[in-house]
Amino acid sequence: MELTLLLLAIFIPFASALICLLVRNSIIRKITVVLSSIGLAGVAAVLAYLMSQNGGTIIFKAEEFPSFLPTILKIADFALLATFITIGIKLKNPLIIALSAIQAIGYLYLEFFSGFQEAAGDILFKIDFLSLVMLLVVSIVGPLIVIFALGYMPEHEKHQHLKKSREPRFFFILLLFLAAMNALVTLNDLSWLYFFWEITTLCSFLLISHDKTLLSIKNATRALWINSLGGVAFIFANILFAKLGTLQIDKLIAENPKTSLFFVAVALLCFAGFTKAAQFPFQSWLLGAMVAPTPVSALLHSSTMVKAGVYIIVRFAPAITGTLLGDSVALVGGFTFLAAAAIAISQRDAKRVLAYSTISNLGLIICCAGIGGWLATTAAILLIIFHAVSKGLLFLCVGTIEHGIGSRNIEDMQGLFKRMPFTTTVAVIGMISMLLPPFGVLFTKWMAMESAVSQPLLLVMIALGSAFTVAFWAKWVGIILTMSYKTRYNTEKLKKSVEFSLATLLTGVILLAIGIVPLFNFLVKPYLDSINSKSGVPVSEMLVLMLFIVLLVLVFFLLRFSSKFNSSNLRKPYMCGENTDDIRGIEFMGPGDTTDEVVVHNYYLDGMFGEDKLTIVTNLIAGATILVMFGVVVQKWLT
Amino acid sequence: MVNLISNGNILIDIGLVLLAIIFAPILGGLVTGFDRVITARMQGRKGPPLLQPFYDFIKLMGKERIALNQTQGVYILGYLFFAISGFVMLIMGMDLLMLVFVLAFSAVSFILGAMSLRSPFSKIGAQRELIQLLSYEPVLIIMAFGVYNVTGSFQISDIWAFDKPLIVYLPLVFFAFLYVLTIKLRKSPFDFSTSHHGHQELIKGITIEFSGPQLALIELTHWYETVLLLGLISLFCVRPFWVGILLAIGAYFLEIVIDNISARVTWKWMLKATAILGVGVATINLVWLYVAK
Repeated sequence: MELTLLLLAIFIPFASALICLLVRNSIIRKITVVLSSIGLAGVAAVLAYLMSQNGGTIIFKAEEFPSFLPTILKIADFALLATFITIGIKLKNPLIIALSAIQAIGYLYLEFFSGFQEAAGDILFKIDFLSLVMLLVVSIVGPLIVIFALGYMPEHEKHQHLKKSREPRFFFILLLFLAAMNALVTLNDLSWLYFFWEITTLCSFLLISHDKTLLSIKNATRALWINSLGGVAFIFANILFAKLGTLQIDKLIAENPKTSLFFVAVALLCFAGFTKAAQFPFQSWLLGAMVAPTPVSALLHSSTMVKAGVYIIVRFAPAITGTLLGDSVALVGGFTFLAAAAIAISQRDAKRVLAYSTISNLGLIICCAGIGGWLATTAAILLIIFHAVSKGLLFLCVGTIEHGIGSRNIEDMQGLFKRMPFTTTVAVIGMISMLLPPFGVLFTKWMAMESAVSQPLLLVMIALGSAFTVAFWAKWVGIILTMSYKTRYNTEKLKKSVEFSLATLLTGVILLAIGIVPLFNFLVKPYLDSINSKSGVPVSEMLVLMLFIVLLVLVFFLLRFSSKFNSSNLRKPYMCGENTDDIRGIEFMGPGDTTDEVVVHNYYLDGMFGEDKLTIVTNLIAGATILVMFGVVVQKWLT
Repeated sequence: MVNLISNGNILIDIGLVLLAIIFAPILGGLVTGFDRVITARMQGRKGPPLLQPFYDFIKLMGKERIALNQTQGVYILGYLFFAISGFVMLIMGMDLLMLVFVLAFSAVSFILGAMSLRSPFSKIGAQRELIQLLSYEPVLIIMAFGVYNVTGSFQISDIWAFDKPLIVYLPLVFFAFLYVLTIKLRKSPFDFSTSHHGHQELIKGITIEFSGPQLALIELTHWYETVLLLGLISLFCVRPFWVGILLAIGAYFLEIVIDNISARVTWKWMLKATAILGVGVATINLVWLYVAK
């Protein structure tokens, strides 16, 4: 039963990917996507139910699978690396060729010359509650984004004037991505995990370059080489782990050899995680990735790709808690949290703000993983969940807004509420969920701070970062909530699939906020128990309840005020006596009795937080921190 | 939730909290009244009567309910509710860090309210207020960390139970806190979001389009905030109790003096100064606590 479910979780998206690729009919594609989404969510839900019933982990030994699988894996791995090299040759990019070749040599050495043989009875798949969290995120948020794409892509292609629709290719890769992610988070064998890790790299390259413009190919190339760097680190980590005798994650963590070699290997793995999770100084690939159609950004930022990066670090967190390596990882994450939030203040492009916010949040997750302990681990896991749902939602909102107003500059979103009331409402709730109580992201930040108390440097980083976070979100929310008096509202026309995805994700955001305590008890606490960590109560239900009541009261007043507003009390804004008849209050009498419009922009503090000012400095500091991290572990190993 | 007010009788607790919610603004209004009298005396004027803030409040409440749009009043309610929540958290002895967050939401709600209007002055005021938030917020968070490092807990009730005065351990944090208090209270030299007087370049900035009952509520929130901040100051010396109160009174007097002797600076200057005098100084204190352990 469990095995069937697991295979379904991987093969449902894989099979529907193939159907989307081979059958070029858009109706069949829609049916396939919708059915597989329902199926995938159902499978994840049943798995969750089974796990809660038997209360433990689900294990599948390698013996349960056909014996030719490892051979297939080897062939597939080489084929994949050959694909990378071919891509490198096509792009005339020596860096990609070299990095892929190094991986191929490393892999060759590991499989044929290192003499490494996995002991009998090895476990291929292992689903514990951390895997379950990831599986749920991938299988519920992922398909919603794919459904959104059903409505979004035809519109996107209309702007491109294509002769032949490239949607089959697009949906093929999207769904393949989900299949790879589901495999990645449930595998227990690092050599297999490496394969799917590289598949996600390939998928992201193909998706970023999907539009085939010069810029998209350039950015996809950058994404590929940065992630190949991570791939090289991963393969070397595997070689070192093999020297320790096993590539089984659970064994490595449980036995936790604490030898200096082990920490070098884990450091390499964390490095691979940094590249995939776009930590400073590797953030440029994720920023470049937004040239791709919106569903791609939504997918990369919320449930796939970057989450694979943080997953691997959170997975190994129990082995490095309290060590120098753990402290260094926490510093790398904490610094990224701060730097990305600072740069976000200076950004006008909505997608860039979201991208920096993602990088910042991933930094916080990694920081928590590095700190370790039950509270920090709780913060990391809950943040993975909350961030996936909220950020998926926000990217979809920005995509919808972009189609609606033809711009994604935040300054162009003034008075958006009038034109797109539904999307605006959804977007505002999404943003507030990243920032204000009673939504969960805030509580995770609180937990992160409480668990970082004994490290002054980290504390200061988190304190500054969280203040910056408040600033950049508040500016954006303020802009889209700007409004003049309205007697009536437009109704917005959206495609069914777009509306459905937004509404479902929004419901998810709200339910997760209300259910933060059950969520902890159901998903996080069992994981903490399984890694033998003590645990307590992270947030008081009373507090969540109290804050929700405040929020509800405010919403009540909002509705009451707007419905009972007496228009005879309406006034125009003060313009030093130069108002016109314009009831919106936007126009004023300029010099020479001309009618001018008031334009007030947000402050972006470029002089202090500008991208061009901060990027180089922050990259250097982040790079130095990572070097220190390696220095610490390598020195111990050599001496 | 920890109850230190009574011994677990929830009805008495609720009663006491309600009582505090009623009396806090009276205290806050009196402080504001004293502030105005003392300021006037410093400037060689006689100044308004002590109860003037209350007269103002009552008068404002009776004014016409005019507005620019339907939503602006809601933000003011958010500003007020979150400030009251913060105050309740303080007197219930709850989590100091969460209290700092709740204060920030209160401020954000006010900023969003001013941003929601089509008024250039109000928008610029809101942007400046946001920069003020950006400056004081990290210092308040670091203060909470400092307290944790001394008492081993974020619970305010544990500060009450701690047997030595915090200021002995956290003198620099206390200094940084006093420094950002000027920003938080929008007093000169950091009053650029409201520009203090109606005839200056921002024409009252962030509050320009709030009038009548809405302005009264802003005033009310300010009273709660004042009491809350004075309460936070007194946390630095809870034993004996009266020393804490004297400390708060002294600190507020110092704020009035600074308000009267300084001219407004630019926001850039403030951000840079806060990086050193606020974040920097407070961090030094954290580091020495860490090293001392």
